Amino acid sequence: MNNLILLKNVVIIPELFLGISIIYLLLFGSIVSTLKNYPLIQNLTVKLSALILFFCTYLIINDNVFLSESNTVFTDTFISDYLSFSSKTLIASFSLICILMIQYYLKDQKINQFEYLVIILIAVLGFFLLCSANDFVTAYLAIELQSLAFYVMAAFKKNSSFSVEAGLKYFVLGSFSSAILLFGTSIVYGLLGSLNFEDFKLLFSMLTPGQNYGINTEFDSNLLQSALVLIIISLFFKLAVAPLHVWSPDVYENSPTSSTIFFAVVSKLSILVLLIRIFQYSFHGFIYTWRYYIVGLAVLSVIIGSFTALEQRKLKSLLAYSSVSHIGYILIAFSAGTFEGVQNLYAYIMIYMLAGLCIWSIFLLLRMKTFYLKKQNKDLTDLTLLVKSNNIIAICFSIVLLSIAGFPPLIGFFTKMGIFLTAIESSMYFVAIVSVLTSVVSTFYYIRIIKIIYFEKVVAGNLFFPFNYTQTFVVISSFFLFIFLFINPTLLYLISYKVALLGF
Amino acid sequence: MLESFFLQINFDNLLFFIFSSVLILSAIAIITVKNSIYSVLFLVLNFITAAGLLLLLECEFLSLLFIIIYVGAIAVLFLFVVMMLDVKILETSKDLFKYIPIGSIIGGLFLIEMSSIIYSHFKTNSYNSNSGKVFMNDFLNYYDRIDVFSDIEALGQLLYTHYIVQFLVAGFILLLAVIGAVVLTMNNNMQNTKNQMFFKQISRDYKNILLF
Repeated sequence: MNNLILLKNVVIIPELFLGISIIYLLLFGSIVSTLKNYPLIQNLTVKLSALILFFCTYLIINDNVFLSESNTVFTDTFISDYLSFSSKTLIASFSLICILMIQYYLKDQKINQFEYLVIILIAVLGFFLLCSANDFVTAYLAIELQSLAFYVMAAFKKNSSFSVEAGLKYFVLGSFSSAILLFGTSIVYGLLGSLNFEDFKLLFSMLTPGQNYGINTEFDSNLLQSALVLIIISLFFKLAVAPLHVWSPDVYENSPTSSTIFFAVVSKLSILVLLIRIFQYSFHGFIYTWRYYIVGLAVLSVIIGSFTALEQRKLKSLLAYSSVSHIGYILIAFSAGTFEGVQNLYAYIMIYMLAGLCIWSIFLLLRMKTFYLKKQNKDLTDLTLLVKSNNIIAICFSIVLLSIAGFPPLIGFFTKMGIFLTAIESSMYFVAIVSVLTSVVSTFYYIRIIKIIYFEKVVAGNLFFPFNYTQTFVVISSFFLFIFLFINPTLLYLISYKVALLGF
Repeated sequence: MLESFFLQINFDNLLFFIFSSVLILSAIAIITVKNSIYSVLFLVLNFITAAGLLLLLECEFLSLLFIIIYVGAIAVLFLFVVMMLDVKILETSKDLFKYIPIGSIIGGLFLIEMSSIIYSHFKTNSYNSNSGKVFMNDFLNYYDRIDVFSDIEALGQLLYTHYIVQFLVAGFILLLAVIGAVVLTMNNNMQNTKNQMFFKQISRDYKNILLF
């Protein structure tokens, strides 16, 4: 009877807490919002959901089950190891900060529906489940939960036809990619008779394709490889890797910025955790077949992300293309398939999330005072003379941009160098050279933003509303983290080292 | 080859071939028929034959699910939508020919690749005593005759014990779908809601309904 929900299965206590809280929040919202005088409910729900996520973070941090001997529960469908622990902590804390950041944007855009926050919390629940999923069914359900929430979030601003278009586009393409994932999964199940990552690992630690095993038959893995390719395609679609990235600038640019900050900052990590579980953990025996696809797509997305971003005039689509190139760097480390590869991948994604959080929060918080220019989709030229109107924010913004570009006195330099070192150590010299060169190209458009902020020869700039304490605290502390982590990167590498210990 | 093909058609396989040929023909009819209501009706036929195929494979639960959900809910919903939208019958053959070359190349390539790789893997049918034929089965399921333990029971026993969390997550997905649909369609300002206007409805006269 130990398959039922018992108290000893504390592994999913944060998820259970979050799910129950979501339902209570829904009940609360639907009771309060139907009161007679139509109260402004958004402020209240933002604070409540921030509180829920805070408790969730607290529960996850104090949940040391991954130290115990058997860390899988519910017939091995959920795993709790250091990878899921650290990713869940990161996701919970980053979503908490994102929710605090979007509060004023929601007020400005008059999105006064409590369901928005409920949907965000459901998406976070999907991330949690995906981080601890240990079989394909759970992973698929978690991906569906998360991406359905994202479709609604993209289309949430109903009076803007851009937003509705973004939601529809995201929905059609996303459900197509989910169907491809299901197809690949069904082939894997048909061939191997199991859906569990643990089983695959046990099987393929003994068995690698293309060898004779003394049972007089060579293990033919063509169909299994094509199933893996289908799974790669659908997961890369969710990550917006180069040939499948076309939806991402459109969706990022057209959906409301409060949703875009979630798409850009939080959503990548959990998919990467699933990729690590499938390819570094269970199908690591197939590395000589899957690494070729992944290296090709990684280099392609680095190139496309760097060169197309040169043309962009809107800040949002520029950041979308830059995220395409960053996913390319991450996948270069991923395709090495080594211990250092996973370690550098995790370090890179952490810094990427931190930098993304900082940039997108500054982007959200710069609310222009000019009334007739009350648009949210900023051109690059809207940032002219930011240094005159808000000096500290200008410094923070340019420091973060330099860190993403990979300049030495900042942590972005170390993580990017780690990626190139991984590529060189696993003898991918050509990949390393190409990615270094395109990284130089991509530096251009980061520096151009800094030039626009500081050195533009115009007289009139834009004035912005001041920030409040919470927002200033978040921006400034992430700014200091970039410098602190350069001086003392041990914290970063310790976490990523413990993550990388998982599969090897 | 062909002789043995026809020799092996027993009753099960006959039903299989009938259902699958109807399935393929109705699937072709869905996309070629011009009237969209006929197209939806062919879709219903398609689902029903697919449910029959699943019954032959002893997946009772899945086939009942097909009938209940796809035929009962989704296809009827489609029918309502098609009737309400007042879609004009367009000349689509010109568009069709424009997309046929590239679409058939990509689709055919994918089909050939997948089918060749699948046939190279599943060369034999384990249910077939004189193996070699993938499509035929002449097996007698003795297990069925000894212990009648239906698909639905097995699924229920698995679903509520081993996969209870996944079941709850599926419930969450449904909840999210409901919330999303309500939020995206509900009008906040209550100005242009499409309510039933009883007075207008009752006072309609047959003389001023049809306008030529």
